[in-house]
Amino acid sequence: MVTLEKIAHLAEECRFDSSGPVQSASQAGIDEVDIEKLRRLGEGTRHDVCASTYSPRETPLPGICHAFTQDGRCVSLFKTLYTNHCTHQCSYCSNAANCSNKSRAFSYTPEELAGITLSLYRSNYIEGLFLSSGAGRDEDHITEKMLETVRLLRQKFAFSGYIHLKVLPGSSRDHIQEAAKLADRVSINLEAASASHMNEICATKNYENDILQRQRYIRDILSGSSRNCKSILPAGQTTQLIVGACGESDEEIFRRVLYEYQEIGVKRAYYSAFSPQQGTPFEKKEGQPLWREHRLYQMDWLYRIYHFQPDEIRHAFNEDGFLCNSDPKMAIARESMDGPVDPNTATLQELLRVPGIGPKSAQRIVALRKRRPIVSKAELAAMGLRIKRAAPFLKINGWRDTTLEMWQA
Amino acid sequence: MKIPDNFHYYLSMHEECNERLLARAESLRADEVEVSTNHEVVSIKKMVNAVMGEAHRMKAFVRLSSLGASVLYGFFKPRHKIGEHICDHFARRNAGMIIVLGNGRESWASLCREGRIWRDHGGGMTATLEKLKAALHSGQEGSSSDEASCDCKYPSNVEDLWQVYYDSQYCPERKNLTAFKRHMPRRDQEAAGLRLMQNRKNATLSDFLGD
Repeated sequence: MVTLEKIAHLAEECRFDSSGPVQSASQAGIDEVDIEKLRRLGEGTRHDVCASTYSPRETPLPGICHAFTQDGRCVSLFKTLYTNHCTHQCSYCSNAANCSNKSRAFSYTPEELAGITLSLYRSNYIEGLFLSSGAGRDEDHITEKMLETVRLLRQKFAFSGYIHLKVLPGSSRDHIQEAAKLADRVSINLEAASASHMNEICATKNYENDILQRQRYIRDILSGSSRNCKSILPAGQTTQLIVGACGESDEEIFRRVLYEYQEIGVKRAYYSAFSPQQGTPFEKKEGQPLWREHRLYQMDWLYRIYHFQPDEIRHAFNEDGFLCNSDPKMAIARESMDGPVDPNTATLQELLRVPGIGPKSAQRIVALRKRRPIVSKAELAAMGLRIKRAAPFLKINGWRDTTLEMWQA
Repeated sequence: MKIPDNFHYYLSMHEECNERLLARAESLRADEVEVSTNHEVVSIKKMVNAVMGEAHRMKAFVRLSSLGASVLYGFFKPRHKIGEHICDHFARRNAGMIIVLGNGRESWASLCREGRIWRDHGGGMTATLEKLKAALHSGQEGSSSDEASCDCKYPSNVEDLWQVYYDSQYCPERKNLTAFKRHMPRRDQEAAGLRLMQNRKNATLSDFLGD
């Protein structure tokens, strides 16, 4: 322990250190922020998903959610549009050029946006910035402004928080390269599951050229820098789809997402259930239930985390290619498991296919049985298994629960 | 439950931790903790998780306001003995600034400079802040008098910005209070002074320290 006086003295000396605190910058300009602008540009990103701020840098940045809204979603970043002015005609979007209920056009300046981000960051409201934007009159111009904002943060204010940049459709390769140098993560939204679905929801975007081609640019930047990949885009690239805006099935979405994981190498795909916005051409369309989004995420997890084969996952789709509102893992287990498995002898892959057993508990089972055999369900429950779900699919030393549930399917 | 390598350190911060439990934890290897189904080991795991959970939510929910150019302070009243741990976290994140966390009864101060951390643990936060103010003023002869007077404006301004932004992120069509309450337990909101801040939009320094 040292005295407060000594701490005070040391802190004062810090002012002369080269990389001293940046507080003077963060106070600049936030007194004059237009509250209506802050609100409108914030609302513009309400439907964008940012689930985690974790970034595997050399010193990894932990993911922290600083608040949750009353819809239960996390607020960890200052998630905003640079401008809500847009010339694209996406039929689902309330910022689109063809939306009749559009609000006034607002736009930040790079200094203003950097100032708000810094002051929110320093007071511990956010972990960083998630910057998206309408296309403005000219995509290149807006992209340059967005990059200038991020450059200000990183270079002038030595901002070390997380930055997620949305790449505007049709951005140039040079701009994407620059974004990759500055951000932790970049993403470009697919929105639709295929080119023909894209035509239905937006007449002004070319799926192949504006979106997929830009994703490949990002992929090539990442693979070209594999030797020091920790410094270029540590959190990689991601993408997001709108679910159910034009009648696409879950299987079509799954096919697209498989392509994204296998060919583009996205870290994650995000799903956002379509909800009709006032004044847009799609305002009369029916919104999608939130459970659909949830089931798609479960399917995504089975592929990405549990490493299920695509052919196994297809068991979860019904004849029309949709997931039901029940756990897809349970549906797959009923279809594809031949009989109950014994936790003492099953392989890790077999254990992972039992509903109620996750990657963590599967590994624990394998670790425990090396020491001694597993003899009871209670032991499994103590290791974190959801035993009620798992029991019908398990036999411990030849003995198994008989339940009606197995015969109902 | 993910068991960290330093579970012993987390266990020692639990409000109900004692010598016997620490000794028991010391005798366990990390992989043993991972798979054991023994009653006491399971309860040690639960204690470690409770501490980690509170520490995580305090890193998330505690808000900092500035006092002059060198001090960031925030209200904080944790259940477990994590005061120093959290204060150090904020000090590392804001190197060169003095971080003061605390409540009416006790307070922690940390400063991270050139990778080293300097700490103090003392009585109520008001007293600590007053002491720091005096110490900082004596060091720089007069020049800071106007800085001190504009302090109180800055934090409430950021809080206003945040409130507008926070409200803008809510999608009414997704309303889900169960998830909201699960992620933001009332107990932790109170420990980080969040409810206090929400209820009193125009809180002044003395409101924070009144508890």
